[in-house]
This record gives sequence, C-alpha cells and structure tokens, in this order.
Amino acid sequence: MDLTFTPHQQEFREEVRAWLAGHVPAEPLPSMDTAEGFERHRDWERTLAGARLAVVSWPEEYGGRGAGLIDWLIFEEEYWASGAPGRVSQNGIFLLAPTLMAYGTDEQKRRHLPRMARADDVWAQAWSEPESGSDLASLRATARPDGDGWRLNGQKTWSSRAVYADWCFGLFRTDPESERHHGLTYFMLPLDSEGVTVRPIAQLDGEHGFAEIFFDDVHVPADGVLGELGQGWKVAMATTSSERGLTLRSPGRFMATADRLLELARQSDDQTLRDAAVAAWTDSEAYRLHTFRAAARLAEGIELGADSSLMKVFWSELDLRMHELALDLLGPRAPVASRWLDGFLFALAGPIYAGTNEIQRNIIAERVLGLPR
Amino acid sequence: MKFSFTEDQRLLAETVGEVLDKACPPEAVRAAAGRGRPGPAWRALADVGLLGAHIAEEHGGLGLTPLDTVLAYEETGWYAVPGPLVETAVAAPALMPAEQLEGIAAGAVTVSVRGAYTPYLPDADLADVLVAGTTVAARGEVALTPHESVDATRPLFTDDLDAGAAAALGPEAGTAFGGAFDAAALMTAAQLVGLGRRLREEAVGYAGQRRQFGKVIGSFQALKHQLADVAIALEFAAPLVHRAAYALTHGAPTASRDVSAARTAASAAAHRAARTALQVHGAIGYTDELDLRLWLNRVWALRSAWGDDGLHRARLRAALLDDPSGPRTVRLP
Repeated sequence: MDLTFTPHQQEFREEVRAWLAGHVPAEPLPSMDTAEGFERHRDWERTLAGARLAVVSWPEEYGGRGAGLIDWLIFEEEYWASGAPGRVSQNGIFLLAPTLMAYGTDEQKRRHLPRMARADDVWAQAWSEPESGSDLASLRATARPDGDGWRLNGQKTWSSRAVYADWCFGLFRTDPESERHHGLTYFMLPLDSEGVTVRPIAQLDGEHGFAEIFFDDVHVPADGVLGELGQGWKVAMATTSSERGLTLRSPGRFMATADRLLELARQSDDQTLRDAAVAAWTDSEAYRLHTFRAAARLAEGIELGADSSLMKVFWSELDLRMHELALDLLGPRAPVASRWLDGFLFALAGPIYAGTNEIQRNIIAERVLGLPR
Repeated sequence: MKFSFTEDQRLLAETVGEVLDKACPPEAVRAAAGRGRPGPAWRALADVGLLGAHIAEEHGGLGLTPLDTVLAYEETGWYAVPGPLVETAVAAPALMPAEQLEGIAAGAVTVSVRGAYTPYLPDADLADVLVAGTTVAARGEVALTPHESVDATRPLFTDDLDAGAAAALGPEAGTAFGGAFDAAALMTAAQLVGLGRRLREEAVGYAGQRRQFGKVIGSFQALKHQLADVAIALEFAAPLVHRAAYALTHGAPTASRDVSAARTAASAAAHRAARTALQVHGAIGYTDELDLRLWLNRVWALRSAWGDDGLHRARLRAALLDDPSGPRTVRLP
C-alpha cells in the first residue's frame, strides 16, 4: 500500500491549484438552469478547455491530457476545493463520453468528443419517460427505420438541462415486438432537429432545470446510433462497472463540502451537531479511500460491477446529510438563500437521480449479497 | 497511490482464516464460555506466527507491521477467536520487557491489558501477566474481582493494581502505552469489521432459506434494504481501517485520528450488522440455541474495548475541531 502521490502528480496538483486560484470567478455564477447562467457556465467550460483542464483523463486528440484515474481524482479534489462552478457539461463528459469511447465509431468520436470537451455541444439525457422511471426497461419511445436513418417518436422526461442543451442521448425501442431491455437502441441527436419539442419544467428552486422532450417523427441519420442495433441497454449499462462508476461523483466534491462543514462546526457549541459533522467528515474520508481502493482494483483488472451501487447510495446520502447538518448549524439563518441552501436543494435530488437509492439497494441485495429477486 | 495489499499480506490473512476454520468453529467459541478458553485457536495462531507478528525477530517474532496483519485480524473477528488476543499479541509487545516476548510469540504467555480509561481487564483470569496503563504484574500478585459481561467468552475483571503492588514499566512507558493503544484499537476495529462480515453472511444465508408467505424472506424488500445498508456500512468502514493501519505503519502524524475514525466507523458498522442479523433471524436469533449470539455478543463486547465510541469521538473532535493551531484538515500526504 502506498498512499503518497508521485512528484509528477504533486506537480499536476500544484498546476491545477494555481490555475484555479487565478481563474475561478470570485462571485458564484448565476444558476446554470437560467438562460444567462447556462451561457456563463458554457463560457467557463471553454476557459477550462483552453487550459486543457476540462477533461484531463481523455486522450489528447479529443482535448484531454491522457491523464490516469488518480490524476483525475487529484484534479477533482482541487476543482471542488477551489469553489469552481458546477459542470454544465457533466452529462456529456461523465455519462455519454465513456460510452462513446467504448462503443463509438472513430468518426463519432472525432465528431462529438472535441465539441463536448469545449462545451460547443452541451448534452442532455433522454432516459426516463412519464411511465418509465425506476422501471426504465418498460420504456416505450420508438425508433423506426426510415431510408438510411430513423424516425423517433415518443416522450422523454426529467431531462436535466435539456432546456438550453444542444444535443441529447437516450434509449429508444427499435424492435416493436420487443419487451423490457431487449430491442432498445442508443441514439444521439441534436435537440434542434425538426419535430423535437422541449418543454421546460420548473424544479423545487423554481428554475427550469428539467425538461420534457417530445419526439414527433424526428429524423435521425444512421450515424446517430451508438453501438449495435438492439443492444442499447447493454451499451448504456456496460460502462457503469468501469470507470464511470467512479466518475459519476468523485470524492473531491464531498471532501470540499465536509471541510466547509467542519468550519461551521468549529463555530458551534452544539455537541450533537459537532459530533455529527466530525462523523460526516469521516465518511467523506471513507468515500475518498474507497475510491482509491476501487482505482487500485480497476488497475488490477477487477471490474467494479455492482459496487457502483454501494457508492451511489453512500455519496448521495452523505451529501444530503452534510447539507442538512449545515442548515442545522446555521440555525435561524438556514432558510436564507445561501450556498448551503442551494447545495441542500441539489443534494435532495441525489437519492433520486441516476437510479433511485431504493433501486440501488435492490441491486446491492441481489447482485452483491446474492439475495433472490 | 496504490490502495491495496501485497500478496504476502493477503496470504497471511488467508492462512489465518484457514487455520481458524479448523481450530475455531462455533463450538470452540461456545466452549470458551466455560473452561475452554483460550482454546485450540491460540495454539494455531502461535503456529502461523500471528501471536509473534508484532514482536521483533530477535525475540522470536516476525517483526511485522500493522499493515501486514490488519487483514489477518479481520479474520480473527470473523471467527470470534476467544482469549485476550489483541491484548497479548498487539498491545503487550509494546509494553512488556523484551525477555518476556518470546513466550508470547510461542503462545506460552498470555497477557491482559487495560488503559487508565477503564477499570476492566478482559480474560484476566487466564492471563499470566496483567498490565494496567504503565504497570505490569504477574497475575498471582493481583486481586481480581470478576464481573458478569455481555460476552461470556470474554469475561471482565477489576483489579487492585497500583504502584505499590506492581513494578512500573519505566519512563518511556507513557508514550509506549499510547502506541500500544492505537495499535490495539486498530486491530479491534479490524475484528469488528470481520465480525460484521460474519453476521452479514449469517443473515444473508438465513434470509435465503427461511420461507414465509410461500417465499424466502430474503426476497422481501424490507429485509433486502436492511441488508444492503449493512453491506454499505461494512464496505466503507474497511478502507478507514486499512488507512489507519497504513498511518500507524508509517508513523503518520494523523495516525491517532485515523485509528479513531476507523474505530468509530467499524463499531457502528458492526453494530448495524448485529442488529440487522438478529432482526433477520427473528425469534430463533434471540436464543442460545443458535450460534448467532456468539458473534452478536462479541460485537457488543468489543465496541467498548480499547476505547469506547465516546473516547474515540473525543479524539476525533480534538483533531478536527478543537486544535486552532493545527492544520485545518489533513488528508493524505
């Protein structure tokens, strides 16, 4: 076991820290779920990309630095500790990109990845449907062959940032006779395609963070298909057991929150909250160490498998607990608009998105513990 | 950065697991409540070198580090090894005169140890040597009073040890005890992780075969989710334990804090595993007829061994909140 970083990694950390200190906006950007805030976040992504810091783990040809997993974790620690803005491009760079790199054609990769890295294209997800939430495999949106391409019909919902995004990716049923997770295909298409209607949905905070997307005979060319026809479910899920299991939420974000929580707790004489803050900090440390362990296992060729479900439940509930604690520590100031309050509202979504924690606990029970379905 | 164990470290744990599988079945743990303490496991652990692992080679040991043995101690938790193992093999080597260490490594000398924060010596009735803080005495010199304990395989005793009745260890003993305490608290945390895993295993096994309403009860979400929470708690306690072993091995300035973080997380995870395992078993779990209670009781006994949760929480508060001059938050180097 070696818990030290190489001189090269230390240098990288110093470089990232110094760059962020000189570039992170002094004032928080407006919410990325407003028209102005979205463009300001897009500009920030371009600034990051200019320093080749937007996607450090990607190959250089697509705008990255070819950095290893540990370097990426270092970047994340520095990024969140610096108070830098949230990543408006996260659906693309963390969720779509690993799949694209694994299943995309060279042409698809060349076309999409560099633009994604510069946030020239910001991507939204199109998974859930009104009748298919946790039970995603029941989805009904269709894609039918049309000449060289496809015609998409149906409705997707809870698409984060789709109001202002440029492209979307998601699953559509290409085999009308199929059921459940069979006969689905993974599609990528521009949101300004003819026949696409995006209807904004205001979230808890009143901002248009969600959208419904209606598809009315939308034409998608053949190269809008990612991976094999009818294998969409496999394509979408395949990377969850690899690095994507780690990259959905890196420890850096929770370490930064835990450190700020300790600052609040130091000013409190409420022993219950002080102890809870210390316990939350310990959990953030546990999540960090667990991630390093997972990185070591990936390096040994061991897949994460269903472990990513353990991680998702852990970080989402830790994040929420830390923000609840912060509001408790703020006492009468809790309901006043603040970074903690914004963070609390965001953290509330954690146990819901990316597979609810109830679904994750089912996965843990069945695939990690081996209990019967 | 490489958060993983070496082949040798994994192999030692495997070996310990293999010998305990034979020498420490539930019947052996059960027998430890009577005259069967410490039982055949002690001999087996001496033979594979675990009793001498933290003793220098010139005194008959292996001269290993906490990082080398922490996985093996998880195994000793899984099997609920009876006898003052952590006291004898982890704490005593840092506290006793060098000439007595060979006997420990050979399995001939057992030691019970307590700090000033508790009046209770575990397994003192079978120990050859008793240590209270910086005071060392032969058992015959000490008047012991037995106390009924939650774990009959780990009886507790109060003593009359004081400076007059026992020989002092020496001036460096104060710091030596601190080191012994951290190492012993760490290995207790490792045992709690192992116990928690055993209880998870027992509960999952039972949930997979017990049928009610025409189905195995493990197919019910109410139980699945409780067991998933046990898996999560154990999964995230272990890295803290392993990191504390690393910190102790390398003499990191954060070592005491890391030990307390590991200890509180392992204690909470093991308690959750115990509560859930009992709930999954239902009434049959609440009996002496099933072996389950051997692991349950050991968890509840070890949660206050080598510092209770309150002691370790206080150390964490001191490290993270109360030291205005210290670094704000030290993570890894």
